Amino acid sequence: MKTIIMAWRNLLRQKRRTLITLSALIAGLCGVVVFQGYITSLMRSFRDSTIRSGIGHLQIARSPEYFQDGEFNPYAYALKDDEKLISGLAGHPGVLAAFPSTGFTAIAGKGDKSATLLVKAYPAERMFFAPARGRVSPPADRFGLGTLLAGSPPSAGEKDRLVLGETAARILGVTPGAVVTLMAVLPDGGLNGRDFTVDAVYKAPGRDKIFAFTDYATAVDFTGIQGAAVVHVLAKDIRAVPSLAASVPADHAVRTWHDLATYFVQVNTMFTGFLNVIRAIILLVTLFIMGNTMNRIVRERMREWGTLRAMGMKKKSILLLVILEGCFQGIVGAALGILLGFGVSALLNLGGGIPFMADGQRVMVKLLPSGQSIWWNLILAGLFAAVASFLPGLRAVKLTPSECLRQV
Amino acid sequence: MSLISVRNVQKSYRLERTDTPALMDVSLDVQAGERVCLMGPSGSGKSTLLNLIGCIDTPTQGSVIVDGEDTGRLADARLSDFRNRRMGFIFQSFNLIPVLSVFENVEYPLLLQKVPAKERRARVEELLGKVGIAEYARRSPENLSGGQRQRVSIARALVARPRLVIADEPTASLDHATGSSIMQLMVEMNESEGATLIFSTHDPAVSRYARRIVKMLDGRISEDGSAA
Repeated sequence: MKTIIMAWRNLLRQKRRTLITLSALIAGLCGVVVFQGYITSLMRSFRDSTIRSGIGHLQIARSPEYFQDGEFNPYAYALKDDEKLISGLAGHPGVLAAFPSTGFTAIAGKGDKSATLLVKAYPAERMFFAPARGRVSPPADRFGLGTLLAGSPPSAGEKDRLVLGETAARILGVTPGAVVTLMAVLPDGGLNGRDFTVDAVYKAPGRDKIFAFTDYATAVDFTGIQGAAVVHVLAKDIRAVPSLAASVPADHAVRTWHDLATYFVQVNTMFTGFLNVIRAIILLVTLFIMGNTMNRIVRERMREWGTLRAMGMKKKSILLLVILEGCFQGIVGAALGILLGFGVSALLNLGGGIPFMADGQRVMVKLLPSGQSIWWNLILAGLFAAVASFLPGLRAVKLTPSECLRQV
Repeated sequence: MSLISVRNVQKSYRLERTDTPALMDVSLDVQAGERVCLMGPSGSGKSTLLNLIGCIDTPTQGSVIVDGEDTGRLADARLSDFRNRRMGFIFQSFNLIPVLSVFENVEYPLLLQKVPAKERRARVEELLGKVGIAEYARRSPENLSGGQRQRVSIARALVARPRLVIADEPTASLDHATGSSIMQLMVEMNESEGATLIFSTHDPAVSRYARRIVKMLDGRISEDGSAA
């Protein structure tokens, strides 16, 4: 206990030097906390928009194969019990919305122009297209499918309406109010053709050339398909997803957003990697600075080590004293750095956040510094500092007490 | 049996690739309760001999037996325990631990022995009272005068009731009057605590506090006799 007290008091012995030594760690960890807050915020926003871009927190299908080729062959995977499944899920306290979707491939024609479309069908009340001006997030119980360029999307009960992508509309030369003819292959192999009114034109990079949207009831009526290809679940809280997944009947295939959002997972992994590299660099710099400082401290206190050993303190206790002192430096530096990081984040948030360009628009990102990594940062800093103090500590016990006492 | 038995001890230091002898074939016996002064000019080997007797250094040749233990055969950890239980050290520069208060400095050897807190407190308070600095117990040693610091050092050396107290030039950093009072205190404590006292000095005025004077010159004992 006394060794711990002595190590702590030694830390405060030369406050200025301690602070200078710790400045690298403080500045570095402050940077890590701010960067982490920025990345967390961006990734959370990216995650939520990915989930609401048509994936959902959960997808439930008839069999695991649906998740391999079902999007291009939805007829083969029609759920026979989708209504029962949806009503069962709707009663779950963690479910915000559960709804079906299906789709079909069609050739759209307008005069002498045609385009191939993958028509996705969700209930009209679950589709959301953001206005072109301003940045509006979709409501929590809807999918945000793009930015509305013209017209207004269909409401529930409006039949044979279509939301076309900007590129497809340009190819077909149509604007809202125009009628296009869709030709689609039916589940029984026959062909069906029907006129659809273009209600709206939307924009979504990488998507608006091929994807069109229609109301789920229209798709069922047009294709005659019996049952949804997949049931989407939007959860009230993302943390409830595992329990929701577990509550799905065992004869269904379930995928969580994490399984399906592969691009998000890749980007998230990449940024987490960046963060870990930065953290490792900071800790390595700390290792060298602290090792150097501890070396100096050990040299300066040679007489003290000699005195303590003359009094009967064992070598291992001296080593422990030096390592503890280093550990405390690391932990105090990390704690100050984390505190400063939270302070800087709060200040930046007060000023509106950090700017970020999203879909050509400048948005302010509020920082979300994570409390979860505090302990991790503290433990790592303490460990690195302990490692940095080990060699100086060995130097403190290498000499005999009389050799230590002879040092000036 | 002697409390200390130094037999044919040699000690050399390696300086710039050459061995420099500090002690040459030194033998000395000290009985329990004696008050011995090692006297000699700088470089005569008195500090080296004190370090060997105090087990804080090892001889190049020969043996040092203290309280029946051949100290050269003890492993480092046991040697630490041995020093803690049998010896007390008083240094020329006091060597108090600056991050510990006066009380804590004196208490430290007892902490290493894991003496219960109540017992420690009583013993430290007793010693601080005896050396006349009880009122400074909570102070940092850095706020004390040289004489007061050496009193703390004496209390620390005696707190664990050692059989042997080793003092290397205990008055060298003090003015004459303070040095005399410190020596007087050491003599009183030596008598009241019953520890054997060995100290070194090059000052004849200090040597008069010893009952036996061992004179050293060029790494050898040149004279060994009772104080006049």
